[in-house]
Amino acid sequence: MKNTNLRQLAAHGCSTNEQLHVWRDILAQAVTGELVGALNYETLAELCDDATEKAEALDHATSERSHAARFNTAGREMGLNVGSNLDASYWKRIREAFLSRARANDFVGCVIAQEVMLESFAVASYQLVAAKAPGKLGSTFAEIAREEGEHIGHAVEMLQAERAGDLKSFDAKVLGVHEEVMTTLAEMVAREDPAGHCGLCEGNCVKPSLPCVGLSTGELRGASLRRYLQTLDEIGLPGESTLAWIARLPI
Amino acid sequence: MPSVDFALIGHLESWSTAAAVISALRGADRPAIRSEELREILPWIPPRTVCRVTITSSNGSEAHGVYIDSFIPPDRLAERFLRENLARVRQAAEYAVREGAKIAALGGFSSILLEGNIGALPRNSRTAFTTGNTLTVALIMRGLECALEFAGRDLGRANVLIIGASGDVGSGCARCLAPRVSQLLLCARNPNRLQALATELSESRTPVHSGTDLAQFSSQADLVICAASMPAPALSPEALSPEAIICDVGYPKNLLPGFAPAEGAVFFGGLGQVRGRLRLHPDLLGILNPQPFPDIVHGCLLEGMLLALDRRFEPFSQGRGRITPQRVQEIWDLAQKHGITLGPLCDADGPVEARISDLAGEVR
Repeated sequence: MKNTNLRQLAAHGCSTNEQLHVWRDILAQAVTGELVGALNYETLAELCDDATEKAEALDHATSERSHAARFNTAGREMGLNVGSNLDASYWKRIREAFLSRARANDFVGCVIAQEVMLESFAVASYQLVAAKAPGKLGSTFAEIAREEGEHIGHAVEMLQAERAGDLKSFDAKVLGVHEEVMTTLAEMVAREDPAGHCGLCEGNCVKPSLPCVGLSTGELRGASLRRYLQTLDEIGLPGESTLAWIARLPI
Repeated sequence: MPSVDFALIGHLESWSTAAAVISALRGADRPAIRSEELREILPWIPPRTVCRVTITSSNGSEAHGVYIDSFIPPDRLAERFLRENLARVRQAAEYAVREGAKIAALGGFSSILLEGNIGALPRNSRTAFTTGNTLTVALIMRGLECALEFAGRDLGRANVLIIGASGDVGSGCARCLAPRVSQLLLCARNPNRLQALATELSESRTPVHSGTDLAQFSSQADLVICAASMPAPALSPEALSPEAIICDVGYPKNLLPGFAPAEGAVFFGGLGQVRGRLRLHPDLLGILNPQPFPDIVHGCLLEGMLLALDRRFEPFSQGRGRITPQRVQEIWDLAQKHGITLGPLCDADGPVEARISDLAGEVR
């Protein structure tokens, strides 16, 4: 991306090129996350026996693709060429974790991964970004956060009933998915990436530059974990278990 | 899982304690979390159960409960965070209801919900809420008696200063002490509440003086109770009588570590000891009880467990300024029945009984 002059920057609610670069990299994460979500819902649809559930999963997949498109549009309006990369290391691991559940025909495990973990992470981080992002970009994040929140509400009721059937094995299943998916998400927002560049940011890793737009990895991680814990509380998992789970996540 | 008789709602006293708790939950196979790392995480954790608790009375009866932490950041207890902290305590109270607790004790700062914001309690719940302040006062009284006995002094000749006198614990101590001491000096920030307490106590034969300026009383007192909701930086060791004995009942502590009059002593008040058995799962007792004695618990939380042991699921301590000597005696009798006693006198560095006993020789 070429350097943009001050007037152009101001028109996009930015005062430095670094800020613009940060929004581009944040958008790339969001777009890739939405595309992974779309693929996951399409996979989920294949696992559904019930026609209504199948249609609902496909509907969610469409909605995730539309979110990706809206993020792309918001970026374009700021003069940003927003990339996406389904092979970016963290997102690839998340998709693989989901697929391994799907291959085992584990419908509930897939719902936990997508609608509890990924959606909690999305809602919380989008809300934080929405509060800091300029103009149209901010409102796009806010609207999509609201829509993603509805996906969580949809899952909670179903998972409450599932848990009531067999508390012990349900909780063990959540822990199993947590160890794969939440560990990856926690690494994504950890201070450092021990495995190197994640494959999405255009230049260097965006994390050290987040403060220039008023964000930090600490806040993103904290808000995401809070939303996740609240969702697990709603489902009915014991607080002392879920506290220990998040305590064990990478920092 | 056994039914939940009681919930203990609290908050962690320091970042180092919080880091120790989270590190213990992380497990020995993970690197311990550092305080500075935890500062980014803890404020986001919603109130929740941290561990399961079982208390066994000295008569063999048992009660089961949970410890719920409100996760108020240890450095955000100041008044400017009041609204945010109240919301956290309210969420913790809702969590206690969700756990099905028959009684919940609100420890430390959390008691504010019952002292002045009772309308914020969860409505239509079957959980009884208590501040636990009556047992705290009972333990403070026993601690003072014990300290004076070690020091060879007579309570009847003591000039007692209470800092934070208009609070629930401070005013409870004042009511218990008024008929028994030589002079009562009351200090607090709220002049109206202070005046009301002084008027109430004026019927006792003991001279009662009150004021908002700590400096006017410091040098007159030989026994000091620090019961302020905030640290008391205005209190300096130099301003106190050199042989003053100070009982710090604050949570977090009112006095900085190392604070002591030249020839006096400081001890932590309001701590009780379970003579039966206390078990935590996971076992965080060694972290939550930093004292070098087993099964030491703050009186406010002990009151909840005590009432559960006695199957008295009632709001024993609620509101502000309702603690009377009769109620203190009632809860103390109950404590005796179940083997809850005064913990050994100690400060941040350990036992202080020998230090206080030495005062007897120094003063004479």
